[in-house]
Amino acid sequence: MDINILAFLIPAGIIACFSPLSDSSSFAVLYMVTSVYFSGVMVRLMLVLAPAACILAGIALSEAFGTLTYSIKYQQIPTLSNEPVSEEKTTALKSAIDSSFKSVVPKDSNKEKTKVEGDEKVKEPVKEKTSKRIRKKEKEIAEKHVEKQVERKPLVLPLEASAVGIVLLILLGSFYVIHCVWAAAEAYSAPSIVLSSQMSDGSVHVFDDFREAYAWLRHNTDENDKVASWWDYGYQTTAMANRTVIVDNNTWNNTHIATVGMAMSSPEKEAWEIYQSLDVKYVFVIFGGLVGYPSDDINKFLWMVRIGGGVFPHIREPDYLRDNQYRIDSMATPTMLNSLMYRLSYYRFAEATMDGNGYDRVRRTEIGKKHFKLAYFEEVFTTQHWMVRIYKLKPSKNRQRGKNKRKTKAVSKKITQKPIKSLKNPWSS
Amino acid sequence: MELSRPSLLPSCALIFLALLASPWWSVHSAEDVVITKVDRRIDLTSHIVRTSASIRFENKGSSDTTKVLFALSSAQAERLAYLAAIVLEGKGKSKTQSDPLAVSQVSFQSAPRDIVLYSFSLNKPLKRGESAIVEVNYVLTHVLKPFPEEIKQSDVQLVVYLDNAYLLSPYVVKVQTTTFKLPRSRVESFTKLDASRLADSELKYGPYENVAAFSHQPVTVHFENNQPFAVIKELEREIEISHWGNVYVTENYHLMHGGARHKGTFSRLDYQARPSASGVAAFNRLFAKLPPRAHSVYYRDEIGNISTSHLRSDNKRTDLLLEPRYPLFGGWQVTFTLGYGVPISDFLFYSKDGQRFLDFTFGSPISNAVVDKLVVKVVLPEGSKDPVVSVPFPVEITHERKYSYLDTVGRTVVVLRKENVVPEHDVHFQVYYKFNNLALLAEPLMLVFGIFCFFIACIAYMHFDFSISKSSASYQARLQREEVADAIQRLQKVMNVRAAVTDKLDASLRDLARTGDVASCKAARKAAEATLKETAKEVKSIQEALQASSRAASVLLKVDSLIQKEKEKQDKLLQKHSLTVELYERKLSSKDIDNRIAPYQQKLLVLTQEVSDLLHAIDD
Repeated sequence: MDINILAFLIPAGIIACFSPLSDSSSFAVLYMVTSVYFSGVMVRLMLVLAPAACILAGIALSEAFGTLTYSIKYQQIPTLSNEPVSEEKTTALKSAIDSSFKSVVPKDSNKEKTKVEGDEKVKEPVKEKTSKRIRKKEKEIAEKHVEKQVERKPLVLPLEASAVGIVLLILLGSFYVIHCVWAAAEAYSAPSIVLSSQMSDGSVHVFDDFREAYAWLRHNTDENDKVASWWDYGYQTTAMANRTVIVDNNTWNNTHIATVGMAMSSPEKEAWEIYQSLDVKYVFVIFGGLVGYPSDDINKFLWMVRIGGGVFPHIREPDYLRDNQYRIDSMATPTMLNSLMYRLSYYRFAEATMDGNGYDRVRRTEIGKKHFKLAYFEEVFTTQHWMVRIYKLKPSKNRQRGKNKRKTKAVSKKITQKPIKSLKNPWSS
Repeated sequence: MELSRPSLLPSCALIFLALLASPWWSVHSAEDVVITKVDRRIDLTSHIVRTSASIRFENKGSSDTTKVLFALSSAQAERLAYLAAIVLEGKGKSKTQSDPLAVSQVSFQSAPRDIVLYSFSLNKPLKRGESAIVEVNYVLTHVLKPFPEEIKQSDVQLVVYLDNAYLLSPYVVKVQTTTFKLPRSRVESFTKLDASRLADSELKYGPYENVAAFSHQPVTVHFENNQPFAVIKELEREIEISHWGNVYVTENYHLMHGGARHKGTFSRLDYQARPSASGVAAFNRLFAKLPPRAHSVYYRDEIGNISTSHLRSDNKRTDLLLEPRYPLFGGWQVTFTLGYGVPISDFLFYSKDGQRFLDFTFGSPISNAVVDKLVVKVVLPEGSKDPVVSVPFPVEITHERKYSYLDTVGRTVVVLRKENVVPEHDVHFQVYYKFNNLALLAEPLMLVFGIFCFFIACIAYMHFDFSISKSSASYQARLQREEVADAIQRLQKVMNVRAAVTDKLDASLRDLARTGDVASCKAARKAAEATLKETAKEVKSIQEALQASSRAASVLLKVDSLIQKEKEKQDKLLQKHSLTVELYERKLSSKDIDNRIAPYQQKLLVLTQEVSDLLHAIDD
């Protein structure tokens, strides 16, 4: 846990707040309680917990230090009269009272008498019974006295104990500093955007594919190009690639997300049309099948289908499932195998795997469709570990030329002949 | 040779026209210099074209000459990055090199257009009938034109280079040869002339004899060149001097692959699986030679650290292998920042006249890269004056001012700008400046003074009275409150003293019980009585003060009763004390004494209890 030692300092801090309970300390307690509640509800709200935890841990530490230094201080000057009475003294006092009382009762030779004693002691002879009663009363007074003294100066620890306690607390605090530095380095400065794995020789291999792709988009695409991807990567793309995205992590506009979800779940041609209507130039997908990165788009694909289907009813989840099972192997449904997400993720994937079978390391299975070509998209960039694959929409011109070819062969011949001519090298002599 | 594309060779055609129009050099032929032998080697193995020509000038005129001329076509002159010449003396093994010759661009009205003339000043005059070998080195950039201009991932990169088969010269050239050194033996085409032959990866023209001045025979070589065309479009180097021990260098790169543009798809599969057949012209690593003892090297871009770099360093050098985030294909760009620090003792020196000077490299540490636009900023420490720059080639120098942390007057920044920079420019340059050592202390002293002032202000705030109205009720109340608190504090002090007396008396009684020393016990009592008397006065004065104060009403009752009870307690204690001593004197048994003093003891206990209760009540 990130809060480390604060976890047990917080309860101590709450207890400290209750003695005595003032307006400010009750605020601290309430703040703590509500923030614990909210961070319990949603783990992201740990942020709310942090200041409250710090305050209460601070209170607890300050109380502890206060007590310890107090006892050290008063141990050093023990001569003052309003000094807390130590255990020894109080017991000595008690015994002194007892002994004196025993002797007082039978003799009764004192001239000066206190009022308390006076009432009972004027009458002679005093009987054993009364003396017992008086003794009891006296004892009570003495005990009360002792109790009061102990109560008022309650926490006087032995010098050694408090010194050790202070040293321990300082050690605890300094270890917490080390922990904080570590937590800042590990948890907060190692963002999930950079993955790393330990190699067999102990060195760390870094998977920096996300930033590789974003940097590529940033420097090698036109500034006004629009990029489509699943919304998870929206803010990242905006910030790191500096490109306009279609959907981002602001998921308020559900229709928009559903449109992208629909495009991802549609066959290539429909998807191309949807993206063309959105003025999208580049589409990228996250694919972990080569290196085994489990939170990739294929694993999120059912959500795209569901969200897309929520707005566009022609996308139906059962079409993507075989016997209610989500699979990408040869048993997968044709709708699944023809969806844009599948095709963009697994384009030329089989060739890249060791044996050419297309073994997906995340799904732990061979992929269903291995060799296919993309008609409406072209691969423009794939990162080192294939985690991000960027595709460009082919311009519409290409498609129409293909159509014309089928219709009028004569025209197309002329077109195809021309480029051959221009291929000739002008410098060949 | 057919000139199939005149549009690509406009300069050649123009030169021909010029040649026909005016035999300019005849005007200047009084010098009568001829070139007896030229050996030209043109290195086309990288994207930077380096030409080295060794030219033997012979003075056949009637007078000595100190200057010889050298010509370049204006198309080449435009792309000229570096030009230097030296004189080779002696023969065989005893060859020596002279210092670089002074080069200046000259122009003659009558000179043919599209020709740029350079004049080399010889170190010693070329006497009649004598000859001298001048070795000219020049570097051209962006003269290898990729053709085709766009290639696919699987294609190799072919480039075209245009040059003259003859040395372009205002003098007659007796014998000359030209050799093109190509990166690979694969040559798509080359201009075939009389004496041209291609052997392995060397293309040779010549020897040609008795070529007239300004002869031009265009030559085209179309060949494969897959070397990294690393073009740094813009590089900003900031060299910041800190007299606390380091020179920090920050370099912002905008790198581009300047070769044939990439077209179509990029398949990572092909790139990874068939590295020899795919993306051969692309490059994914750069090599940088940092100064020795460089430390805190970082390599990052806008979105954070770039994790692909390897640094190797020992005492003599620091080698950095940089890999951009992605391989660079033709036309692809990338930006990144490289930074490092070096110890100041390696680069900052004192000149003879007491000035300091920085001696640092001018160009980029990245090897074999062309920098289109280089800006070098030298940030001098705050307080330095009169910067003077010494660079061995012309640069544009301006001054700026930069403000960093804790700066008051700002730092002087010397900005050097130069375009078309090649590795040959990576020489040391110097910036001289004056700096007073005391200025080094300015910033720490400023900090110290600032913190000092803050504390002074705090002290002043605590001690001064900032209330606006001195007669307001709340102010008066506060004053009185403080008075009362003060009095009570004094009272507590006195009570403590008196309590100490009690303790002493008790101690003396205990001593008495143990030793039976009556005399010392009496003395203790006497001392105690004296102190009590003394303190009683003080108590009285405090009590009076409290009574006088109107605000003390709430505590007055308690204080009064405290004083009373305390007094009573002390009295009782004294009584007990004297009684005990008396009893001891009468030599009664200890039990007897105990019995006798018991009532006092009781009373004392109760009183002590009450007193301490009251003290605490007042405390609150």
